Amino acid sequence: MAHLVIESLTKIYERGKVRALTDVSFEVERGEFLVLIGLSGSGKSTLLRCVNRLVEPTTGRVVLDGVDVTRLSPRALRRTRRKIGMVFQQFNLVKRSSVLANVLTGRLGYVPTWRALLGRFPKEDLERARRALSRVGLLEKMYARADELSGGQQQRVGIARALMQEPELLLADEPVSALDPATSHSIMQYLEQMNREDGVTVLASLHFLSLARRYGTRIIALKDGRIVFDGPPGAIDNAKFKEIYGEDAEEVEVR
Amino acid sequence: MKEWLFLVRRRFRSWATSLLTWLHGAYVAFSQWVRLVRPRLISFLFDWIAWVYLLYAGFSVHHIRTSPTLIWRPEEKFVLPELSPTGWIVVLLVTIELALFVRSFGVSLGQRAFGVSLAPAGGSGTRVAFPRRVLHFLASHLALASLGLPVLVNPERPWHERVAGVVLVPRARGASRYRPWWTSAYALTAAVLIGVTVALGWAVTDIQLGALVRDVGKPARLWRGLSRPDLSYFFTPHPMETDSIFGALVKSLFMALLATVLGAAIAFPLSFLGARNITATGPVGRLVYALTRGFFNVFRSIESIFWASIFAIWVGFGAFAGTIALFLHTIAALGKLYSEQVEHIDPGPVEAATAAGGNRLQVIKQAVIPQVLPPFLAFTLYRWDINLRMATVVGFVGGGGIGLLLKNFKDGGEWTQVGAVIVTFAVTVWLLDFVSGWVRERIV
Amino acid sequence: MSGEGLPVLGRLRRAFTLGLLVPAADALVLALLWFVGSLFFGFLLHGREVYFAGPWWLPLLVIVEGALLWAAWGRSPGMVLAGVVLRGSARGRFLYWALSHLGPVGAGLALLDREGRLPGERVGGVEFVEGRPTHRPWYRTSVGWAAALGMALALGAAVGTLQIDLQALLTKAPATVKYWQQVLRPNTSLLTLGIQLLIETFFMALMATLFAAPVAAALSFLAARNLTRGWIGRPVYLLVRLAGSITRSVDAVLWAIIFGVWVGMGSFAGSLALWVHSIVDLLKLYADQLESIDPGPVEAVTATGASRLEVIRYAVIPQIVNPYLSFTLYRWDINVRMATVVGLVGGGGIGFRLGGALTDFNFSNASMYMILVIVLVWAIDYLSARLRAKLA
Ligand SMILES: Nc1ncnc2c1ncn2[C@@H]1O[C@H](COP(=O)(O)OP(=O)(O)OP(=O)(O)O)[C@@H](O)[C@H]1O
Ligand SMILES: [Mg+2]
Repeated sequence: MAHLVIESLTKIYERGKVRALTDVSFEVERGEFLVLIGLSGSGKSTLLRCVNRLVEPTTGRVVLDGVDVTRLSPRALRRTRRKIGMVFQQFNLVKRSSVLANVLTGRLGYVPTWRALLGRFPKEDLERARRALSRVGLLEKMYARADELSGGQQQRVGIARALMQEPELLLADEPVSALDPATSHSIMQYLEQMNREDGVTVLASLHFLSLARRYGTRIIALKDGRIVFDGPPGAIDNAKFKEIYGEDAEEVEVR
Repeated sequence: MKEWLFLVRRRFRSWATSLLTWLHGAYVAFSQWVRLVRPRLISFLFDWIAWVYLLYAGFSVHHIRTSPTLIWRPEEKFVLPELSPTGWIVVLLVTIELALFVRSFGVSLGQRAFGVSLAPAGGSGTRVAFPRRVLHFLASHLALASLGLPVLVNPERPWHERVAGVVLVPRARGASRYRPWWTSAYALTAAVLIGVTVALGWAVTDIQLGALVRDVGKPARLWRGLSRPDLSYFFTPHPMETDSIFGALVKSLFMALLATVLGAAIAFPLSFLGARNITATGPVGRLVYALTRGFFNVFRSIESIFWASIFAIWVGFGAFAGTIALFLHTIAALGKLYSEQVEHIDPGPVEAATAAGGNRLQVIKQAVIPQVLPPFLAFTLYRWDINLRMATVVGFVGGGGIGLLLKNFKDGGEWTQVGAVIVTFAVTVWLLDFVSGWVRERIV
Repeated sequence: MSGEGLPVLGRLRRAFTLGLLVPAADALVLALLWFVGSLFFGFLLHGREVYFAGPWWLPLLVIVEGALLWAAWGRSPGMVLAGVVLRGSARGRFLYWALSHLGPVGAGLALLDREGRLPGERVGGVEFVEGRPTHRPWYRTSVGWAAALGMALALGAAVGTLQIDLQALLTKAPATVKYWQQVLRPNTSLLTLGIQLLIETFFMALMATLFAAPVAAALSFLAARNLTRGWIGRPVYLLVRLAGSITRSVDAVLWAIIFGVWVGMGSFAGSLALWVHSIVDLLKLYADQLESIDPGPVEAVTATGASRLEVIRYAVIPQIVNPYLSFTLYRWDINVRMATVVGLVGGGGIGFRLGGALTDFNFSNASMYMILVIVLVWAIDYLSARLRAKLA
């Protein structure tokens, strides 16, 4: 059985009556590295956010491990969300908090609420945070404030936060768009590592086709909220590229 | 040029240079010394004063609690305890001992404030062994007994620290992030200080929650007046008054309006004199700047009630006196806000206008005024709001308007009328607040 | 506009705004003009207060007709606030004016139209569209003229109503010399008493701020639009905001009068007055701050499966702690100033004595108290500004 099944997903934003997604369906196998591409405004972020219901889908189903996410009660939704890590374009760290505090928020789905509210995380969670931080090479920044870090470092903290969830699925919404090319690759390599070594299914949206080709095992392209391509990276030729990005687009390499 | 003159000059110059160099060196050394001395001496004073305050506050709470009629004699709320000379010496010693103890065995509030803590000498870890702390504690007594001589003589490695084998180092950041607060001495001290201060405030301001609950019914007639305001004197004046509520309200509105408009008109030109970036060029300019700002600061702090009282004598009781009082305060308050706004303008357009050859007035007109006008308008509206509220207060000391009416009703015990005035005034303020907020939103 | 027409809510909004709110705003402006005009000419011609001149039908006619004409032929204040202009021919404007007499009925009829157009708009072929005309200086707009006229009349009326007597300001100055001398010779024997009273005033402000901050902080979560969603949250939000804004318009001085009766005059009443006023004032500042937090971390923490409380604890609170502290310090500063004024009407502390000295015209006492107040205000002003700079 497929890990994640999206069935005729449609999203219409109330405000402004925008049709962000129209009848999107696809399946993702366990361990895939699926890359979403498409122009700005094509619905990538909306699609990713529908998976963990940060955005409520209008119609359609999202089935994770045989469970329909769209029908879950708030409580069950929180239990499902903790298996789904998420990494953001703007990192979305709490800037005034320490790196450690940010990373520990990844465990909020696991620890009892009273413990979380008092800030008394179990010892093993602190140990886990150490491991996650050393895995992304930021152990010595543990007590630094998040806004003292560079963009690349902040994104690594974001990844560490996702690692803390011990996720089965990782959603990455343009994880490298705010970063320079060299840093982009190092971040993408962390995602690749999670995918290969921990067997995490990855759903990432990317702006650069070159990155998508390099890291993805499969690519889905969106245009105006519809799927216009679904296949292996090698299958995107020049014609397909023009179809996705428009006639005047030129491909840009990121090395 | 004559040879000797030249020589003298050179002599003098080299002499002056060396003097300057020496002065500079002395200054650097002195500030270095101060930097070293501060965390030791000043922070000790800080700790000691904290303990003295703690004791005195505790005593005062006790004193106020046990003297029931103090509300009539507020001047006796704070008194010195009656102690024998021995008693005073004991107090002195206890506070000093406490301060020294915390400084040696933990991080005291003073040490925390200056960002330092003890560490073993020779850089062996961060934990200071207990015997060293004891030594430090004992040696500190001697240092203190000699009036801080070791620190003054050798601030870098004072004698008492050398003996104990410790050094005072800048606090390491993040070293103790996950220690709960109640295990550190400074946080404990701070908590106790806050607690005592609250207790003292509780006693001084005579807080009686019991009275608050018990006496809800006391202002029964006021409650009735508030919930069902008696508007029979809304348009026709009360027999004892000259103004109806509506008439007094109109007066207060006009008081606020006139004071704001005239005040703004005067504050506007003055604000440029009080803006550093416009005026403070050259000695005369700097003087003008300082004078204007000084005027703003002094007049802003003098309450309008003070002026109202003076002008009540000067021009007679009534709305005119109140208007002048509000007007004077408005000049200073708006002047300060305005000039700060002028100081925060974008310098780009000013440079452009100056570069284009404009004189100072032209620059102000072309480059400054367009930038500051919207915020000025917003401040002025806001001030009108405040002036309207202040108009009530001013009325209490002879300023006329709705404040006078309120005072008369209150002093005459006409609580239903007091209720009517409060409701009328609150509704007016609410409406104006709403409208001016709306307009402000559209302007800025 | 698309062929589907406006949804019902949009139609309601349009009809309500253009058919009712705009004419009402215009009528209000004209009524105000008439009012200040009456006062002005009342003083000019009769030397007494005239609130509404003329037989009752005259102002009514002028206000109603003026409002309708203004909207049809010019750009009325209501239209400026609504941000609309009327487009159409002279004939259409005439028809619009004629039909705009329908008033509320017209607004009701507009609901039946798919686009929510008023009857006058439909019949006259004119339309209110969003936007503003090409920029003109204020003196070339009707609203500008009305505002200038209103301001001039109001200032004139104010001079009359307040019995401004500039002559008295000059001729009676010598009588005040005695008092100025007192002001310049503050009664220094009051120094110790004054300082004690000052401490009391200081604690009034401190206690009020200290106990207001937690209450306001707790309430602020109910008054932030972005944290109150859903069927329970939204009404609670509206309720808290409304109650706050109503309570805030009752000034601290008025609260001091109320509490003076309630718990007896003294510093307790003063502290309570400052406390209530601080709560509602801080509530607004806090809630506005909450509404402007970065939603990113909230989203991220929600995505980890955290509960609502945990999201607030880990994504919201870290963002607001410093601004909250900063606002609280600012409020403390204001409370120190207000504590004096509140004391004046029975709130105890130095303000009470200052008020007493002022009503007795004992200016050497008053000036001593005033100097002490100024010193305290400056000290707290400085301290609060320093601390706030540290927090930023
Ligand atoms: N909260 C919202 N309310 C209304 N419309 C929205 C909202 N969020 C997104 N949209 C609209 O939905 C459409 C899809 O947006 P989405 O953010 O999913 O695109 P995207 O592919 O992620 O674009 P980008 O590459 O710029 O991030 C856009 O037209 C956008 O304007
Ligand atoms: Mg996006």
